[in-house]
Amino acid sequence: MTHLLDSQTIQSRLQACTSKEATFKELVALSNQLERLTDEDKSEEHKVKGCESAVWLIEEHIDGMCHFKADSDAKLMRGVLVAVLSLVQGKSKADIQAMDLVQELTQFNLGSYLTSSRTNGVLGILKKLSS
Amino acid sequence: MAFSSNNIRSDFPILKVTTDDHPIVYLDNAATTQKPLAVLQSIQDYYLYSNANVHRGAHFLSDRATSAFENARDTVANFLNAGQNSHVIWTKGTTESINLVAYGLEHLIETDDEILITSLEHHANLVPWQQLAFRTGARLRVLPLTSTGEWEPEYASYFTDKTKIFASTHISNAIGVATPLADMLNEAKKVGAYTLIDGAQAVAHYEVDVETLDCDFYVFSGHKMYGPTGIGVLYGKSAALEILLPYQTGGEMVRHVAYQATEFNVLPYRLEAGTPHIEGAIGLAAACDYLTKQDRPELLKWEQNLAKTVYDELYLDPRIEIYSPSSNTTLVSLSVPDVHTLDLNSYLDSKGIGVRAGSHCAHPLMEQLGVGSTLRASFACYNTKEEAERFCEVLLEAIDLLAD
Ligand SMILES: Cc1ncc(COP(=O)(O)O)c(C=O)c1O
Repeated sequence: MTHLLDSQTIQSRLQACTSKEATFKELVALSNQLERLTDEDKSEEHKVKGCESAVWLIEEHIDGMCHFKADSDAKLMRGVLVAVLSLVQGKSKADIQAMDLVQELTQFNLGSYLTSSRTNGVLGILKKLSS
Repeated sequence: MAFSSNNIRSDFPILKVTTDDHPIVYLDNAATTQKPLAVLQSIQDYYLYSNANVHRGAHFLSDRATSAFENARDTVANFLNAGQNSHVIWTKGTTESINLVAYGLEHLIETDDEILITSLEHHANLVPWQQLAFRTGARLRVLPLTSTGEWEPEYASYFTDKTKIFASTHISNAIGVATPLADMLNEAKKVGAYTLIDGAQAVAHYEVDVETLDCDFYVFSGHKMYGPTGIGVLYGKSAALEILLPYQTGGEMVRHVAYQATEFNVLPYRLEAGTPHIEGAIGLAAACDYLTKQDRPELLKWEQNLAKTVYDELYLDPRIEIYSPSSNTTLVSLSVPDVHTLDLNSYLDSKGIGVRAGSHCAHPLMEQLGVGSTLRASFACYNTKEEAERFCEVLLEAIDLLAD
């Protein structure tokens, strides 16, 4: 099971970033937290559509709780995935569906890293998490 | 006098913009260029002093607008050495110009005819031809140019008596290489094909002479040559334009309309339905004037030197793969096999450097190169050697930060 930093810690680390460059470096650091998927797991079936970089997301259920594994071929996206998954890891589907994930994500201060073309991809991930 | 961007940077006020205290370094010029004050001023002047609809005559402002608009056509005709100004059709850009020709020639295309393009095309010079082939039962064929853009004698066999249309880019937007236009056009002429050259990436850098090129159609966008967005040009020889059926109809392009039939207007109006993009044409003409005022061979050399600076700085680095030629190009397209181009792009962006990561609307070419996306730094007249060096320095920093 992937062990991730809790979302509070991630949020405060990202909120402390006052420039794009600082955010970049923090996302690179976060990306190292993500356990990479095997090539086998990176299947078409697990691919999230609409992302500029390739993103794979796998959902497992243990004792009624959701556990997610994810990967991307882009490092910053892996950092973003660590942040996103910290919001939902180990929660029940009902709890996840009750969350406003888009709103929660704004707390991460990802600013330009979520604007424009990348946003669609991240929205696709959020949709998949709560579906 | 040798060209130096130092003498013209102040014509582009946007270059003073900063982000996170970094001055912006704009190296995405193949996507669109910045606009000089002369272009902005021409648009403002049009609205301040001459705004009215064109060709409707009958009052002072309309006469003024019409002559500014038609003078713009003259300017573009001169810019291309196009002879008569009726050879210049206004469109909204390269894409529309190509679509206009693809629809306009459709009545001449039959099942089993061939439409020949090259393997270096932007989607804009591929999809309209592919769709034309689908509609008519013609066959789309691809001349397999390599990334060095050299002519090979065996290419001649791609031009057959079935080839009705040959379309090629002048310069590849994805890797910056020039195609062997003279040889290709020569073969196309031998088989009597209509020829179209996509000059989107050429006009800002090269002095284009359509008479010497001797192609039937030459197309480009204003926004990639310091002009406004939303305006572009279809140049055509008289006979080639005459053969096109209008793909849009309506006002301005007609001479007489009755419920039973419509008599179309003469060229160029016949292919320009509706109120045109008047200030766009005027702005594009100002951009032509701006370029014409420069020492163009020296300007091209300046831009090529910037690309060469980047090439020379990076080509020995074993982590970097470069897809552009080593010289005679104004852009450098590269990838770092271990690092995603989007990540490189983000780091450069965090330092104020704007480049483009992606497949550059050329999926089949990316496949040919065996790469999903490249990072492209493309230069314009206002870029400096310091900017080219800064790009290399920050790119290398990014690779150090991102390589596993
Ligand atoms: C070679 C080439 N052809 C066509 C186009 C399409 O131009 P536009 O989007 O202005 O119609 C571009 C723009 O990127 C280009 O570089």
